[in-house]
Amino acid sequence: MDTLTDSATVAVVAPPLLAGAAGRRLLRNPAVIIGAAILAVILLLGLAAPWLGTVDPVAINPSVRNKLPGFEETVRNDDGGTTTVVHRMGTDTLGRDVYSRTLYGARVSMLVGVAVATISVALGLSIGLLAGYVRWLDGPVMRLMDGLMAIPAILLAIALVSLWTAGVAAVIVAIVIPEIPRVVRLVRAIVLSVREEPYVEAAISVGTPTLPLVIRHILPNTLPPLIVQATYIVASAILVEAILSFLGVGIPPETPTWGNIMAEGRALFRIFPHNILYPGIFLALTVLAVNMLGDGLRDTLDPRMKLRHG
Amino acid sequence: MALLEVDRLSVALPAGAERSHAVDGVSFDVAAGEIVCLVGESGSGKTVIAQSVMGLLPPELRPSGGSMLLDGENLLAAGETRLRELRCTRMSMIFQEPMTALNPVMRCGEQIDEVLATHTPMDAAERRARVAAIIRDVHLPDAERMIASYPHQLSGGQRQRIMIAMALVLNPKLLIADEPTTALDVTTQAQILALIREMQRMHGTGVLFITHDFGVVAEIADRVAVLRRGELVEFAPVDELLAHPQHEYTRMLIAAVPGVAPPSRETRIGPTVLATEGLSKTYARGGWLKRRRDDVAAAVDVTLEIRRGETLGIVGESGSGKSTVARCIARLIEPSAGRIVLDGEDIARLDGDALRPRRRRVQIVFQDPYRSLNPRRTVGDAIVEGPMNYGATRADALKTATELLALVRLDARALDRYPHQFSGGQRQRICIARALAIGPDLLIADEAVSALDVSVQAQVLALLDEIRLRLDLAMLFITHDLRVAARVCDRVAVMQQGRIVEQGPVGEVFGAPRHEYTKALFAAVPGRRWSFASDAARVA
Repeated sequence: MDTLTDSATVAVVAPPLLAGAAGRRLLRNPAVIIGAAILAVILLLGLAAPWLGTVDPVAINPSVRNKLPGFEETVRNDDGGTTTVVHRMGTDTLGRDVYSRTLYGARVSMLVGVAVATISVALGLSIGLLAGYVRWLDGPVMRLMDGLMAIPAILLAIALVSLWTAGVAAVIVAIVIPEIPRVVRLVRAIVLSVREEPYVEAAISVGTPTLPLVIRHILPNTLPPLIVQATYIVASAILVEAILSFLGVGIPPETPTWGNIMAEGRALFRIFPHNILYPGIFLALTVLAVNMLGDGLRDTLDPRMKLRHG
Repeated sequence: MALLEVDRLSVALPAGAERSHAVDGVSFDVAAGEIVCLVGESGSGKTVIAQSVMGLLPPELRPSGGSMLLDGENLLAAGETRLRELRCTRMSMIFQEPMTALNPVMRCGEQIDEVLATHTPMDAAERRARVAAIIRDVHLPDAERMIASYPHQLSGGQRQRIMIAMALVLNPKLLIADEPTTALDVTTQAQILALIREMQRMHGTGVLFITHDFGVVAEIADRVAVLRRGELVEFAPVDELLAHPQHEYTRMLIAAVPGVAPPSRETRIGPTVLATEGLSKTYARGGWLKRRRDDVAAAVDVTLEIRRGETLGIVGESGSGKSTVARCIARLIEPSAGRIVLDGEDIARLDGDALRPRRRRVQIVFQDPYRSLNPRRTVGDAIVEGPMNYGATRADALKTATELLALVRLDARALDRYPHQFSGGQRQRICIARALAIGPDLLIADEAVSALDVSVQAQVLALLDEIRLRLDLAMLFITHDLRVAARVCDRVAVMQQGRIVEQGPVGEVFGAPRHEYTKALFAAVPGRRWSFASDAARVA
């Protein structure tokens, strides 16, 4: 019961969620700052795309097919004058501007990533709390989740998209379903350990009804690891969306997504690598940024990691 | 010349810690063939001293002054290689929790063999013979089976014997024992203490024995060093120290140890608040899709009665089922059979909404003060939760909370603070205030003082007694510590393997135990020849 155990106790007993110390630690973590900064830039680029010198990302222009980055196109206006359009990242086989498509593509990727993370965390949290707290539900629910986990995510997505109409919503649902069991497992494991904590039993014995009990005393313990898990889901959803689009079973090809752009550039990759290069860089940067953010959050929020760092 | 001479040892704490030194200018010595006890409360620096001697300090701590001579060799000057040679051959250490100190994936025999293989030129056959011999020396039955067993297959006491065998296999001159019996039951503790004594006599080993328990000190020590906040307050032969403690802090510590003989107590015994009849709890092992078998009977046919104004103690060793009974009565778990009668009504089978109104009659305080309060909610939120569940407004509940904090001697400002801002003893007071907030008739204390230092423990025990009298409560006191039971209980029930083997007024059970198990339990209480509280009172 000396210094060692004392410091261990201090580290395990987390202060109120994200208050004071944890918040400050978060802002001192370079991974969190860099990750968040990259993400913010990409998100801004996507949202502000119309004002960043882009043209209509779906407009087909056969006269400027397969141009290299930096190609300057002279467009004749109705009044007889001309304006110059610079294709900063070149054009694809249908003459669409890759720069515009990549920037607009950020919107779809971000939407899919955030939507998948939000929906799967919300559903997974509810199911996980139920499975963890209601003992008789635990077995059946978890076996169902095991079953869902046994289905390969991409295969399930392909099946869902081919059964349903292709579109952003279908892709989101297709990616959400295999993500749910992972969240459920995480939440259930935390609930199972927290429900045995004496403070939960104390709350039961002072007559706290089940719903307030779960919300006040159990749910907050699941949030720090869930926030971390959510960032990984964002990254994996963005990747899976790109893969689905690349395979041609995701979002319809006219909608600009990074996966679609790369899929279309595939055929002429050796001659015109820019079609794959630019969306690829954006994709890699985004996933890297999200993962950095997640790692940083884990270091600050996960008490076990805190212990390891002293 | 002494075997171990520690001279003005200081160990600095990293900047920002609550004090500058974990150990500050401590000097003492251990002669060959004697047992020196380092005794102190948590944070006194006793473990840090042991780690310094072994060269096992965590990296953020460093010795900042003084010297430690083992057989004339300065340990502070020794490099890592030299220290590694010295460990096991000259000095060895045994730890509090043998399960974590032993490697779970190596057989016990291999672990002892590894020590021999590392430090001696013996061949395999010689080593095997030596391992078998040392295992017999520590009185483990069936040496062959022990050698082939993994740590989890042994009991706590057997594991600690393996640790001792491993520590002594090379006949070191110094054995450091860091709370080696704290995690063990009282009867096992007595056996391990006897074993350490025997080994020390047989081999002439010097022993540095770290403990927080004055009973253990009285049982085993030749000389005692008392530590407080990193400083040595007193160093004297055991009889002298216990009979005539010089320092005020030592006197306070000794006075805080409850005696084995029950003191006379003020009680006003009223009508029965709660009774159990044939209460049983069986845990079914296995789960979904598995056939249920291997049932474990945690409590069998427990019949007791708790009356207003009295404290009923349940004593027993770990696994005896005493906590199971407490949790059944608090209805945190559902009993498998039997009745729990509260005001003539059986609450054993009630659940959900039917149970909720009855919950406020029975409240429970748990063992671990660090886990009993939600770290994310303020003390005020914790205390008002109960009253607000039963319809009190927040303002009224806060008013009650303020009064209760005064009752448990805490400042009203505590309401807005978080649990991590309080010490263990303060948290336990907060837990008591929370339990009292909804006005229970029965307060269950489930090992409520076991995690506390002895001086804090004495304060909390006194507080519980005062509250029982003032609020006219019935109290169910679960403890493994017979001294504590003697101090606060009016009646006691002794449990063994889920059954009550003896029950009666504390004076009778403690004065003339009838059941064999109760007798064995009393015989094992360390330091029984000292009655502590009464002796110290006389001295003071």
